[in-house]
Amino acid sequence: MKFIYQTWWKVIAVLLVLSTLITGLLFDVPRLPIIHETIRNLYFHVPMWMGMLTVFVVSVFYSVKYLQTGKEEHDLAAVECVNTGLVFYTLGLLTGMLWAKYTWGEFWSGDPKQNSAAIAFLLYCAYLVLRNSIDEEQKRAKISAIYNIFAFPVMVVLIFVLPRMTDSLHPGSGGNPAFGKYDLDNGMKLAFYPAMLGWSFIALWIATLRYRIRLIENKKNAI
Amino acid sequence: MRKLTLLILLLCCFFGAFAQQTQTVEMADVMRSSGKIYVVIAVIAIIFAGIAIYLFSIDRRLKRIEKEK
Amino acid sequence: MKLMGQTIHLLKKEILLEWRSKYAFNGVLLYIVSTVFVCYISFNLNPGFKGSNGYPIVWNILFWIIMLFASVNAIAKSFLQENKGRLLYYYTIASPQAIILSKTIYNALLMGLLSVLALVVYMLFFTNTVNDLLYYFMIVLLGSLSFSTVFTMISAIASKAGNNGTLMAILSFPVIIPVILLLIKLSKAAMDGLDRSLSYSNIGILAAINVIVVASSLLLFPYLWRD
Repeated sequence: MKFIYQTWWKVIAVLLVLSTLITGLLFDVPRLPIIHETIRNLYFHVPMWMGMLTVFVVSVFYSVKYLQTGKEEHDLAAVECVNTGLVFYTLGLLTGMLWAKYTWGEFWSGDPKQNSAAIAFLLYCAYLVLRNSIDEEQKRAKISAIYNIFAFPVMVVLIFVLPRMTDSLHPGSGGNPAFGKYDLDNGMKLAFYPAMLGWSFIALWIATLRYRIRLIENKKNAI
Repeated sequence: MRKLTLLILLLCCFFGAFAQQTQTVEMADVMRSSGKIYVVIAVIAIIFAGIAIYLFSIDRRLKRIEKEK
Repeated sequence: MKLMGQTIHLLKKEILLEWRSKYAFNGVLLYIVSTVFVCYISFNLNPGFKGSNGYPIVWNILFWIIMLFASVNAIAKSFLQENKGRLLYYYTIASPQAIILSKTIYNALLMGLLSVLALVVYMLFFTNTVNDLLYYFMIVLLGSLSFSTVFTMISAIASKAGNNGTLMAILSFPVIIPVILLLIKLSKAAMDGLDRSLSYSNIGILAAINVIVVASSLLLFPYLWRD
């Protein structure tokens, strides 16, 4: 756990995001109809989902660890990761909706990807409701860890597998390949991958901050 | 206090009228001009605003802990 | 092999208990029949509906919604019903994997039987032409299997978290939505009589979800069990 108190990766995260702010807005992008300049949103909208996925994966990791060891800190880490992930989820959804408004025409067009994202939100809200419904601390930690692990594969199927099977406006669905297939040229990759990495680290950073606050709160309540 | 509410109410009326005037053709508003670059700007603004709000909430939580000490 | 023996033993016990009282079976059957009847009466209030274009679509979706609620009610009982002393007794004589496996298989059998009966009753009231009837029945069976794998584990979680039905619905619906989406798509294809080979990939995903769910319940249930 020493990793979360170190500074170097936070500096890297900030530098990466800063660089993508510049490269993402200045680099040449492919000229596509309808999308026009909004293709640059790729550097800002998609990394939100990457950040969410990263903290959710970390959360599942700590849920597994909690079940193995029974240490309370692992449970706290898992729940704070979910909280942070939900913020990134909301940002991803809002930016996606804005982007959709000016390319597809509606904020919410009932697209499979959008619907799946909404269902995944319900899944993690259910996780938080489950936590609140149990008073006893150890029992709460254990049961919510189990639900977290149980829900994660379903979330992956929902967001990353099912929309690919159906017709959708969103790239990477149905017969509609992801941007990566045909127009993510090398120039875009240069800005896209650092953005993914940088935002994942930022999400992780926020989660660790919350986790550290939670630890102090917990210690105080214990006394 | 009453004057202030009246003022706000009037202002709201003004904005309502203002919005009606501008809401004509949806095809050529600001967001769609110059290659829709403003959409990108709005997206970045949303992300930054979201993270800023989140930072404030964390800050408040930390303040509460500090006070208890 | 020990696991298999225990599972079969527990499964026999479940079936025997159910056979004596027939409580779950009759209860859920009555639930389904009355729901179908309520739907039938309500739809009869609108005379022109039967001939309209939307009728087959509504027919298909309504059937799955009825099955969804019926199976939540049926399977929620599987753990909520058991009292603490009996659960403790199971714990001393069998491995947790055997318990969850036997419950899942029992629920799958029960739901399979019930859903076939439900489909017959449903088709009696709501006449509709299903082009590939055999395939439709197979999908209904597959659906009841998937419902029981998901709901059995969720019912175990909900029963540990204070025995309430609301929690069961909140926890299970987001998990079941991908399953029900696939099922509606598959059964629609069967109803339209499309070529079977077109829907193999969807069946594959459904099977994969089932395998994941069963595997994770086998892994997680022992932890849930321990107190």
